[in-house]
Amino acid sequence: MIRLYGRLLGAHLRSLLEYEADFWLMMFGTLMMQVVNVAFLSAIFAKVPHINGWSFWAVVAMFGMVAVAEGVGSLFFEGMWNLAWQINQGDLDYMMVRPYPILLQVSSMQIGLNGLSNIVTGGLMLGFAVANVDIAWSAGRVGLALLVLLSAIVIKVAINLGTNAVSFWMQSPSPLFAFAVHQVGDLARFPLSVYPLALKAALGFVLPFAFVSFFPVSVVFGHGPAWVGLLTPLVAVYCAVVAWFVFSRGLRRYEGAGS
Amino acid sequence: MRAYRAFARATALSALAYRGSFLLSLGGVAFQLIALLAVWRVLLDGGANIGGFDWEHMRGYLLVAFAAGALVGSFVDFRMSFRIRSGLIALDLVKPVDYQRARFWETVGGVWIEIAVVVLVGGLAVVFGGLPVTPDGPELALFLCSMTLLVPLKFTVSYLSTLACFWTENFVGVLWARQAVTALLSGALVPLAYFPDWLATAATWSPFAGLTSTPALIFIGQVSGREAVLLVAVQLGWAVVLWYAARALFRGALRQLTVHGG
Repeated sequence: MIRLYGRLLGAHLRSLLEYEADFWLMMFGTLMMQVVNVAFLSAIFAKVPHINGWSFWAVVAMFGMVAVAEGVGSLFFEGMWNLAWQINQGDLDYMMVRPYPILLQVSSMQIGLNGLSNIVTGGLMLGFAVANVDIAWSAGRVGLALLVLLSAIVIKVAINLGTNAVSFWMQSPSPLFAFAVHQVGDLARFPLSVYPLALKAALGFVLPFAFVSFFPVSVVFGHGPAWVGLLTPLVAVYCAVVAWFVFSRGLRRYEGAGS
Repeated sequence: MRAYRAFARATALSALAYRGSFLLSLGGVAFQLIALLAVWRVLLDGGANIGGFDWEHMRGYLLVAFAAGALVGSFVDFRMSFRIRSGLIALDLVKPVDYQRARFWETVGGVWIEIAVVVLVGGLAVVFGGLPVTPDGPELALFLCSMTLLVPLKFTVSYLSTLACFWTENFVGVLWARQAVTALLSGALVPLAYFPDWLATAATWSPFAGLTSTPALIFIGQVSGREAVLLVAVQLGWAVVLWYAARALFRGALRQLTVHGG
């Protein structure tokens, strides 16, 4: 099942690589965005030692987490963003007759090459952050770091799926709701503690973006409310279950286009 | 002129018809405003002054930065890039109007809905945080001048980069690179005073400063008098220079445009 997924993505990858100059432009565009993020952070931290107790490298790590999680979402699951259009056009009809899970067919419909540069730049940001912070690494902590990283990615992808699946209830051909929620996620790149209570609650519980960046960094760096970060894997399971539930309930509402 | 007014009216109406996506395209700047306000409120808590900004001034700066970021969205860019890549531009070229001026008036037509959002957000900011520091009469006039000049300046910057579609299929990459560079060098993310001196000076005299830094600094009174007039003049100068640069580039672009049938 996973091999077939790889082949589906591979087909899109090959077609995209036909346009080589476009590929490099895309890489350049996303690279610039991350470079600007780091430049922006260093401009602030040149004047202040920390934001609410969070050092430059901790905030860079939070930005890096968001970049990696979004990157994985774009590179491997970009097709989810097409769901609204597929529903609107009745294209899911074809998928229903194929012997492969509909969800996987949808999510492999497209490949977002910007994900590749986001994973690389986000990974570099994480790497530099970890190298510059004094952490007592033990086997347990390495395992924990990998576990929360994986969970953070699952949370981001699950939120993408759940919010895009809301399109089953809306008639719009473009995923306006999912896109709006995605933008809320940008708030989570900063330490959660800077926000007023209502936003903390929104980013911690309603749309748990804080578990994509803030809490994982907190538990690995052993700073701030570290114990909450231990919940990251549970939040990931919860998000995945909710997203799957929304998707399968939505699929039952799907009506096709009669063509 | 009547023909161009029709272009403006057409986008003014489509802004209303597609208000969902129009408003959503402002979401990015709006959430950026929330994040930056939260971060600076913590940093400048208790009357701290960092790099010449205290909380009241930073708040005013960020509000103007939001307004400047909201004006002239990428609606016209996307439409233009689509028409260039699909070949529909052939239909634009046979119309007896100037291509660049037509796109400019389309942009102007869409501004009203952005102004409405700015007024709404500004109103909310006043309700929650009180009136920001406001400039005196002459500086206020200069600020309004600067905000008005921002429209043609921002248009020419995005028009120039959208012309890249004559050479490449990938518009999004160009758009992202442009947005990233302008966000940083215009002072939309952090005031230019926070940069190292060489970069701050270069950015101040670049066309990008006119996209955020100039109106914002005038609004909070960080620059005034002759210095402010000079900065607004630089804004005007760049708008004119880039306008004609875009014309030159467009001529070159047309020479290598191929449209298959129709």
